[in-house]
Amino acid sequence: MQLVKLSITTALLLSTLQADNYINVQVLQYNEHNGRASISTPSVELNYDLGADYTFNGKYTLDSISGASPIFYDSTSGASAYSRGETTQDSARYGGVEYDETKRMQGTVRGTKRFENRDEVTLGASFSNEYDYRSTELSAEVLHWVDEGKNQAFSMGVAFQRNVILVDCKENSICDATSGASKKLRADAFFAEAGFSQNLNSSSVLKTSLFFNNEDGYLTNPFMNVLRYYNTTPTITNETRPHNRRGYGGVLEYTKAIGESTAWHSSYRYYHDDWEIDSHTLNNDLYYELNSDTTLGAGLRYYSQSAAHFFSKEFDHFTDEVYASSDERLGDFNAINLSMSIDYKITKQLMYNLSGNYYKQNEGTIARYFTTGVKYKF
Amino acid sequence: MKRVIMIVSLSSFFLSGCVQNVKAWEKAKLSKETMQKGGGNALLKAYQEHVYFSKEATKGGSGIGGGGCGCN
Repeated sequence: MQLVKLSITTALLLSTLQADNYINVQVLQYNEHNGRASISTPSVELNYDLGADYTFNGKYTLDSISGASPIFYDSTSGASAYSRGETTQDSARYGGVEYDETKRMQGTVRGTKRFENRDEVTLGASFSNEYDYRSTELSAEVLHWVDEGKNQAFSMGVAFQRNVILVDCKENSICDATSGASKKLRADAFFAEAGFSQNLNSSSVLKTSLFFNNEDGYLTNPFMNVLRYYNTTPTITNETRPHNRRGYGGVLEYTKAIGESTAWHSSYRYYHDDWEIDSHTLNNDLYYELNSDTTLGAGLRYYSQSAAHFFSKEFDHFTDEVYASSDERLGDFNAINLSMSIDYKITKQLMYNLSGNYYKQNEGTIARYFTTGVKYKF
Repeated sequence: MKRVIMIVSLSSFFLSGCVQNVKAWEKAKLSKETMQKGGGNALLKAYQEHVYFSKEATKGGSGIGGGGCGCN
């Protein structure tokens, strides 16, 4: 019996130490109803183990985004994000305004060092660039095994992000509206997360984590408008959000192997911030190994959030409030996401995957998105 | 924040009674790809997280790193 245990342990250790080298190429195609937004996102990811103690991971993504956003605009001067200024009650509209197609590139590199006791330190850097938004991020994470049997792990991570936003001054109250110039503004963010993972038994794992976000600077969306003084002198201006946002929350995740071929992932997240947004997220994913080559997946996510204290998209709501936004993503809504996926091993090293998602908010947004790609292990 | 810490502490306390000392040779199921994030393909989960981040007002709890974007 001891011999059997020893050989199984050796096999498991060997599989753990075996290099996890792969190239993963995936494409996301995202479409909102009525052609409101369309996004194509190809990604390539490389994971490479340098011996048993070091891992390099790099990811490169390209986004191509086109479509429209629902905002206030003046119908007489055209459906433009910059149709700002005094208007009339008859001319004021809330609806989809087309924006120029934008492209974004994003890259992330991460390096992990493992120590003799298999504790890990991971350092990461990310860069994202589009014509009016640049983001740079540095991150550090540690994982510490609490017990010798490696059934309990404590993890902690921090990230600092610097974002530079190019704001078009055209009809924008934050800079010279007449010069036609643009201005670069900054928004910094700090993220922290701490978690504790526990193997409950040979088939289930529980993880709890706490997180904290702090954002400072220009958090306003330069393309979003609000309508003020509707009852007296209706005026369309750019939105204004507070310059600071602090959010925190907790996540409880439970992962369970059911029988020999099914895995169930379940999680709950609570979030709260000082913009008075509360949110609850429930997520469930099931993966079923149909045979040695094919794995089927299904997921259901429920999300709800309350509105920010400065949000309204009513026509006669805002007058001279300092903070005002009609961006419906800051509103009170709930959403569901349904997903289905299939993974198929073409050979021992090459895997093909396809997944489809249906996303619906009760306020009207409906999106369908698909991912497909291949993962090659070497 | 106190409420979040209390929920996490209480659930940890009650669950500590259900914990077994799992030996290395009993971890075959735990090490399966389907038990890992995204069923073994974390990039697909990252795509979903990106969609949620773009269409909703909250973030956090899905890991550190990954970078920002002007999509929200």
